[in-house]
Amino acid sequence: MTGWTRRQIGGLAAGALVATAAPHIAHGRGRPRVVVVGGGIGGATVARYLADLETIDVTLIEPNPTHVTCFFSNLYLAGLRSLDSLTFDLRSLAERHRITFIRMRAVAIDPTARSVVLQDGARLGFDRLVVAPGIAFKLGEIGGYDEAAAEIMPHAWVAGPQSELLRRQLESMEDGGVFVIAAPANPFRCPPAPYERASLVAYYLKQFKPRSKVLILDAKDRFSGQELFQDAWSRHYPGMIEWLPVQFIGKTRAVDAATRSVVTEGETFKAAVANVIPPQKAGSIAERTGLTDATGWCPVDPLTFESTLQRGIHVVGDAIIGGDMPKSAFSANSQAKACCFAVAAALTGSPRFPPHLFNSCYTFLAPDDAFTNAITFAPKDGKIKTVKMFISKVGESAKVRRRLAHQAVGWYSAFTADVFGGVS
Amino acid sequence: MTAEPVAAIVSLARGIAAESRYFPGALLSAFLLVPGVSAAADTSQGAQIAATCASCHDPTGRGQGIPPLTTLDEQTIVKRMRAFRASESPSHVMHAVALSLGDDELAAVARYLADSAYAGRQP
Repeated sequence: MTGWTRRQIGGLAAGALVATAAPHIAHGRGRPRVVVVGGGIGGATVARYLADLETIDVTLIEPNPTHVTCFFSNLYLAGLRSLDSLTFDLRSLAERHRITFIRMRAVAIDPTARSVVLQDGARLGFDRLVVAPGIAFKLGEIGGYDEAAAEIMPHAWVAGPQSELLRRQLESMEDGGVFVIAAPANPFRCPPAPYERASLVAYYLKQFKPRSKVLILDAKDRFSGQELFQDAWSRHYPGMIEWLPVQFIGKTRAVDAATRSVVTEGETFKAAVANVIPPQKAGSIAERTGLTDATGWCPVDPLTFESTLQRGIHVVGDAIIGGDMPKSAFSANSQAKACCFAVAAALTGSPRFPPHLFNSCYTFLAPDDAFTNAITFAPKDGKIKTVKMFISKVGESAKVRRRLAHQAVGWYSAFTADVFGGVS
Repeated sequence: MTAEPVAAIVSLARGIAAESRYFPGALLSAFLLVPGVSAAADTSQGAQIAATCASCHDPTGRGQGIPPLTTLDEQTIVKRMRAFRASESPSHVMHAVALSLGDDELAAVARYLADSAYAGRQP
């Protein structure tokens, strides 16, 4: 397939939304074509930034019409935000930024023929492909934890129905119960998030179910922001959050959904609510396309985010491995911009400059107490290396932390406007 | 209006935008000619660095808590970034960003941001 015609688009897709105006499609003949698979943070950012250059035709493939952000979903869990306020319409993104949006699943990628196969069998050609598949769960690693068990012991690690399920369970939990969080070993999506979740669940319990506890069964002996979290737990929720590292209990090896129990190598823990966060790997299409290595993640060139395993295909976001960048929405957004300018340089000859890779996260300890980190990265020896890292400190004033919590809300609004091109 | 004339005018505006530090008046005029049409983003060094700014600073200046960049002129941006570079306080986030930019990069992004604000364009 060498170019888009209206007939081909129509043939592709009952159910596919073609948001682009017809003159643009005609006008686009002969322009380089980039296909983006995945409408999460990395995929939406790269599609939007590439389309805004107005030199490349961009098609976004994603079965979901909306995206619910994982970041800030712990605030939803605690009753501090609605899920609606975390939901963004990909159709609006496509309309505003002249992206062709195909609301379908990409089932296969043919790197040799440079085409993507959609769920209805249609093939879509590309000059460059960007794959942003997010995460998948290694379900086999925790015995008994399958999709059915996840409906009883939700992971809530992809925001949406799983978040609603966990919220309902928290609301219906009896006072005096134990809310268990099984946290995975590194690397996984959003390293501080299990501990932010513990903090905000404790905030909810302190108000409504004060005899209850949060128990974290960790597959690690240390975790991101540990000193800041433990200081906050003793200040805000004394005696309510218990953290058990892997050296005490061993890894989580099984669950029993019937009794809502989590079984580690050493003990069995019965939960009132069990939030089981399984070990993770790159989203499944990456694995099927040969974009993953033995780690289960996608190695990339840190300058361009082109796969080191499949040339002409770029990968951004949580699915990549090969350096110090954490799996965060901010990282995905930063990688997507570097990838966008590298793809544009390759296809249109636009100038290339060293990428500025950056991560900054706001993490809530309580509604009026948040901390931030800021990390700069640079490509070195084929990997992404940390250059400088700064993080909030234990002992900062309540005023400083209140200001950060306030900034976090402003950051969310600006960041999601950057990714999705406007308000939801 | 068909796509082609708009594209042509946008293309003209982009060309002028690239030279806007020499002809700021011409840039403004180019945008006034085409109400409601914003220029395409560009791939200049300033634009590529400014993409990082947009991860936190709302380009419309509506954000809360994080100051907008839309009202700052080039010299003010350079001056503030040098102050952020020198000290972790008041913002370790901006300290990290400022330390990551060389003087030439800082000059490029400051010029781009100031020009973008002047043209009423989203960085």
